[in-house]
Amino acid sequence: MKIEISKAWCLNMARLEGNAEIGAGLLAVDPTSHKAPIANPAASNVSHIAFGRLIRLMRRKEGLTIENLADKVDIDVDEIVSIEDNIHHNADPRTVYQLANHFKLPKAELLQLAGLAAPKNDALFNEAVRFAARSDPTARLSPEEQAALEAFVAVLSKNK
Amino acid sequence: MTPDVTPIALLNVANNMPEDAELWDGITEKQITDWETKWKPDLKRAQLSRNVTAQLDQSQHWDWRKKSQALEGMLALRGFSIVCNDITQGLMLVDTTSKRALIESQRGKDLVYIDYIENAPWNRSVLYNPPLYSGVGSILMRAAIALSEEEGFKGRIGLHSLPQADKFYIKSCGMTCLGQDPRYHNLRYFEMTPEQAQEFINKGS
Repeated sequence: MKIEISKAWCLNMARLEGNAEIGAGLLAVDPTSHKAPIANPAASNVSHIAFGRLIRLMRRKEGLTIENLADKVDIDVDEIVSIEDNIHHNADPRTVYQLANHFKLPKAELLQLAGLAAPKNDALFNEAVRFAARSDPTARLSPEEQAALEAFVAVLSKNK
Repeated sequence: MTPDVTPIALLNVANNMPEDAELWDGITEKQITDWETKWKPDLKRAQLSRNVTAQLDQSQHWDWRKKSQALEGMLALRGFSIVCNDITQGLMLVDTTSKRALIESQRGKDLVYIDYIENAPWNRSVLYNPPLYSGVGSILMRAAIALSEEEGFKGRIGLHSLPQADKFYIKSCGMTCLGQDPRYHNLRYFEMTPEQAQEFINKGS
């Protein structure tokens, strides 16, 4: 496809463009971006905590190390570490899909929990708060945690 | 496939002089190689530099492997690139089949959706002062308009802008912002109508 563009037009527009940033599309995001793509603003730190703890407990339930899980779901180790330990971390949508597939969790609900989709109602958020409050990320998986985990997974599945 | 090449010019910011360049109707192995061997090392250096790190959201995770894989996938898709001094200066990926206009006056009509547009690191003022070349964004937008016209879409374009580029799409391109898109990480969605496309072309004439 040949395009008619004069060099004079190019230069006039270059002067108008100046030093403007031009990036568009999620693929254009890089570490130099002023702002990362914004996760859903409604997603709170509590939701991120619940998401991180859910992944940690599901991983431990299967007896997997972080490295094992990273291998199985084809995600970088540092992304899983960030999900589990950094409440400000915004997970990549592909990562959430991979984790949902591996742990057989409903994708839409997991995306909401991870702050990547708008919550449909308060019920999931309220359950996430309860779950975050009940679970302890450093202790061994106690029967209570096991029960909390299963109850929360059941809630996720019910909202599907 | 050999891409069609259109002669263009970029503005050398340091000396305010034009330099001959080329608009390629395609993204080829050369662009992917340039990205891997020239763009990426520059961006990685920037990632480590104090000035840029200060602007980053500390929680932001970055995965170079994913971006490399995505770029390799572009070889099969419709795109444009700008080459100057035998180095890729800008990249754009477009979709002519799956998106429709949302702006009221054009609702439901076909448009060229810009999936991805990016400037080379050395052309970005956030990384280089002064940046090397100016004009990459405008020329790629002009190419998108030309494609839209060729497809019979009359210049209609849509894209999701990164937050730092919103100003370019509003002020320089005269596009209409339709607000943040919750399905797209809350990036702002912009559209260009046929009238705005003509105004954009007239600006540089």
